Amino acid sequence: MTVLQTDGLTKRFGGLTAVDEVDMSIDKGEGVSLIGPNGAGKSTFINLVTRRLEPSEGDIQFNEQSILGLDPHEVVQRGMSKSFQTASIFPDLSVEENAIIAALAAEHGSFRFNFLRHRNAYPEVTRVADEVLESVGLYEQRNATAKNLDYGNKRRLEIGIALAAEPDMLLMDEPTAGMSPEETESTVELIKEVKEELDLTFLLVEHDMEIVFDISDRIVVLNRGQVIAQGTPAEVQDDPAVQDAYLGGAEE
Amino acid sequence: MSDEPSDATAAAEISEEAGLDGRLEAIQDSELAVVGIAVVGVLLFPLVFNNLLNGYTQLATLVLVWGIFALGFDILLGYTGLLSFGHALFWGGAAYAAGIFSASVSGQPVLVILFGTLIAVLLAWIIGFLSLRRGGIYFAILTLTFGQMAFYLSSSPLAFLTNGENGFTSVSIAPLFGVLDLHGSLGGPLAMLPGNTLYLFVGAVTVLTIALANRILNSPYGIVFKAIRENESRAEFVGLDVWRYKLMAFIISALFAGISGSLFAIEGNYVPLSSLYWTTSGEVVIMTVLGGVGSLFGPLFGAAVYLYIEFIVSGMDVVGPFWHLILGLVFVVVVVLFPDGIWGGVTAIRDYIGGERR
Repeated sequence: MTVLQTDGLTKRFGGLTAVDEVDMSIDKGEGVSLIGPNGAGKSTFINLVTRRLEPSEGDIQFNEQSILGLDPHEVVQRGMSKSFQTASIFPDLSVEENAIIAALAAEHGSFRFNFLRHRNAYPEVTRVADEVLESVGLYEQRNATAKNLDYGNKRRLEIGIALAAEPDMLLMDEPTAGMSPEETESTVELIKEVKEELDLTFLLVEHDMEIVFDISDRIVVLNRGQVIAQGTPAEVQDDPAVQDAYLGGAEE
Repeated sequence: MSDEPSDATAAAEISEEAGLDGRLEAIQDSELAVVGIAVVGVLLFPLVFNNLLNGYTQLATLVLVWGIFALGFDILLGYTGLLSFGHALFWGGAAYAAGIFSASVSGQPVLVILFGTLIAVLLAWIIGFLSLRRGGIYFAILTLTFGQMAFYLSSSPLAFLTNGENGFTSVSIAPLFGVLDLHGSLGGPLAMLPGNTLYLFVGAVTVLTIALANRILNSPYGIVFKAIRENESRAEFVGLDVWRYKLMAFIISALFAGISGSLFAIEGNYVPLSSLYWTTSGEVVIMTVLGGVGSLFGPLFGAAVYLYIEFIVSGMDVVGPFWHLILGLVFVVVVVLFPDGIWGGVTAIRDYIGGERR
């Protein structure tokens, strides 16, 4: 089953075509990485898919339904979750409250008229939140204030928030940016674990080639808004067009 | 995440079922505690205020009325992080609606409050719908603009309803449930209670609104509001309809403004035009920040300090004429020393003492 499919997706900013007729499809359970040099259109592509930007042309289908015209939160409710480039958390709330917010949104939908019901009347929400904290290894620190976590744990929490939405697909925008080598390693392990455990479909945008080659089933290479190559890590690595555009002709 | 019935989750579910009674009891306990504190506070307040601080019962009543306004305003400012400069519209609007209702339909205090509050909620629905399209300073200015439009409307175009510059003078409040004259005195053993009939009536409403605010802040809305304050774009990207929750925060804060405004009309038997003026919007902002944003009880203290300076300090010898200056100084000192307001200062001192003991 195809989880995400774009047909001729195009975004123009004035004279600049940031994303140029991109056709991409991601199957259930597949881990896909989107790579490309700076300015290749990766972020624009992600912003189009998450409905932060309106495409100039083309269609985006998620779970075989078009998501054009939906608000970002509606896309999340359909099962597309996003982890941000920076640790985008709720800093002054506890780690557990961070996860509870995400679990609430997943369990209750985008809006409910329940301001007179005590939160404790929803034990399911706390259960999901605690499960997610277990799986990202932050359960022990659930009562800590989120802003007091170290950077690596903030990023883990950020991924946890994205997972608490119980997504069909997870978009990750440079999940290891700014991490120390140890933190990077543990985050990569975490992503692998979660993928294994939940049969997670993900789309990863990442600069670190080691990580990309390590965890992707398939790599899509973008340059100047166009897909110039795609395939398994090995195929992409050997593609001359990719070496030209992205690796800067690293061969002698 | 699939709900595979693993042993761990099954066990967790069993223990949850067993703990559900305890959990519900814990809710009732904590809510009872809040209501208990509110009742004791309302009963003790006039004793302390009148006997030790040169206050008087009418002013104590006014403190509670404004306290309710600030309490609701804090849900918007302190919890959701939205600064409105137009809440005079809902407070004054409710006061006028309550006054006009009492003069032409029914003077039943409960009905008067319900009608005033309903009007405030409807106004907030419309104004919120229009103003929340923009964030930050634009939201503040839009709400301010709507507030000033309402002020202008009641000063002349709607003067046939509002009596224009003179304020609405025909408020006529009937005895509560047909028996208890709110502006009269209590007989029998009830006369032992502090304050007077009107104070106790406003006090009872205050306790109810505190319980209501406490419940809302402990519902899913409480945590969603905080999420919006902390990181709006993240809240959107966990799948929450941020816009509708913001509108709800706005409407809920106007609900409290409506209750307060209606009580204000009942309390004074009069609605001044200034109730819609922008300074009213500013006063509630100052009271809330002074008392402590993001706390349940803080805004009530903010209202007390503000009105104390406005009505008691202003009448003192020597310093009286400078009460505006004193208010400003108190505000600056509190905010610089305790960014979380008076309530934040109280909890900081409590933690400090508690920390020393340990």
